[in-house]
Amino acid sequence: MNIDTSELNRVKAAVAETPGLRIGIGRLIKRFGERQVLHGLDLDIDAGQLVAIVGRSGCGKSTLLRLLAGLDEASGGDILLDGHAERDLIGDVRMMFQDARLLPWRTVIQNVALGLTGPKTEIRERALAVLAQVGLADRADEWPNRLSGGQRQRVALARALIHRPRLLLLDEPLGALDALTRIEMQRLIEQIWRQHQFTAVLVTHDVSEAVALADRILLIEDGRITLDETVQLARPREHGEAQFARLESRVLKRLMTIEAINSRNQILGKVTGILVDSVLSEVQILTEAGLVAATVLTRSLAEQPLELGAEVLATFKSNEVVLATTA
Amino acid sequence: MSTRNGFLQRAWNGLLPWLVPIGILLVWEASARFGWLSVRILPEPVAVVKAGVTLAASGELWQHVKVSALRATTGFAIGGGLGLLLGLLTGSFRKLEIALDTTLQMIRNIPPLALIPLVILWFGIDETAKLFLIAFGVFFAVYVNTFHGIRSVDPALIEMGKSYGLSGWPLYREVILPGALSSILVGVRYALGFMWVILIVAETISAQAGIGYMTMNAREFLQTDVVLLGILLYAVLGKLADVAARLLERRWLKWNTAYGNGI
Repeated sequence: MNIDTSELNRVKAAVAETPGLRIGIGRLIKRFGERQVLHGLDLDIDAGQLVAIVGRSGCGKSTLLRLLAGLDEASGGDILLDGHAERDLIGDVRMMFQDARLLPWRTVIQNVALGLTGPKTEIRERALAVLAQVGLADRADEWPNRLSGGQRQRVALARALIHRPRLLLLDEPLGALDALTRIEMQRLIEQIWRQHQFTAVLVTHDVSEAVALADRILLIEDGRITLDETVQLARPREHGEAQFARLESRVLKRLMTIEAINSRNQILGKVTGILVDSVLSEVQILTEAGLVAATVLTRSLAEQPLELGAEVLATFKSNEVVLATTA
Repeated sequence: MSTRNGFLQRAWNGLLPWLVPIGILLVWEASARFGWLSVRILPEPVAVVKAGVTLAASGELWQHVKVSALRATTGFAIGGGLGLLLGLLTGSFRKLEIALDTTLQMIRNIPPLALIPLVILWFGIDETAKLFLIAFGVFFAVYVNTFHGIRSVDPALIEMGKSYGLSGWPLYREVILPGALSSILVGVRYALGFMWVILIVAETISAQAGIGYMTMNAREFLQTDVVLLGILLYAVLGKLADVAARLLERRWLKWNTAYGNGI
């Protein structure tokens, strides 16, 4: 069933000559029990775009990706792919997870060929071809646990590519890699995306990764899009370039500004007193709302010294606020 | 020079585990020879070997071994097969678990040997009774480990499989069964050990053939050497079953560095 629809879609795509899927998200809502994660999110993504979604953990960016992948059901709103309901085209959507999620009991090539049906020799040829694209053709018959973290992610990328996805979802796939492997993988993903021209949505917590790869950077805060920045740097982008650095710092600054102007449980103030004790110390902050005291570990105060008069942002969790009615 | 040393080292490592058994055999043989041990209590090793050779030559030994082995494997196939099937079902379907697991866990706590009087009443003392006891004893080891194995398959891998279009039998074949296999094989190894224990008891109750019959018969005629031969045969058969299970582990779990040697 699945194979048939995706085969059909491939033909359709070939006719339309747009390999990438267009995404239309309208008033998307997701609740987990009492907790609402997405509050009516609207988003349109053009076919073939590479969009990066940044945001702090728990902001709903992974939830959005899982909804796009069809792994979870939305509580409200809709997701349209090329104007069709998501279910019809789900065979054209592939996901790369943060952990590679390779089957340890299948060899590299068997992992890549997972879910494919057809003549064995043809499948092997196709799998070898995509493995060659990610530079791992020589490791085809090894067990995944013989590979490094970066190589495993490359196998996972090959496994996604062999299905010729029209939408590739990447859920922090490089989060666990060391800096050098990370940049290598970013280059590989960019190159493969340019070659195959699918639509890609990358969730990351690394702003520089977003700047390096994306056509468009979205910031999700509290289940809403609070920043939508188009990146117009020429590719391939170099991490050291001045424009790159300027954009990265601008996005970072916007990210922080947005956090600062978001008045929920964040109070700007000045340090007026520091009482140091052996284990716990108290920092007094004068804010517009009055004096706020923060108890911190003396050790962490020693690691990150504060000066009197320094401007700080006091934040606290909403579930820690106690309310009392005033008489 | 170094390869020669390596060879000696390997030979020594291979020999080491056998030094103690060989030593015990030598001491045993010597004490029997010098009359410190009565032949009625413990015959000398050479006598056991002789008894084995005589019985093997007459073909009687093979007959008994064949009957016992067939009995054990049939009982194991029935009990283990049912355990595997039910474990797979209750592991995969929450509704079946709710319906069956409590009952099975209750029955699991009955020692199989406590059923002997009832089994004799039900089936008499012929072959069915023995097969039932073995199957019953083996069932739970396989069932519990299969159930546990299915349940402990990494949900992230199952989710990945589903998102790559697998469902139904392909998902089972590619993800769930291989993921549960190491646990299932633990159950199989445990069940194989238990299989021999129950076989011995079942055969000593009543039998017309088999190793147990042979030893009980020998006891009546005070042939301690044959009794000892029977005990040794159980040990050898038990070891063989264990080796077979290990080979399966090596073959099926070769992707796991804890078994096999990778590639």
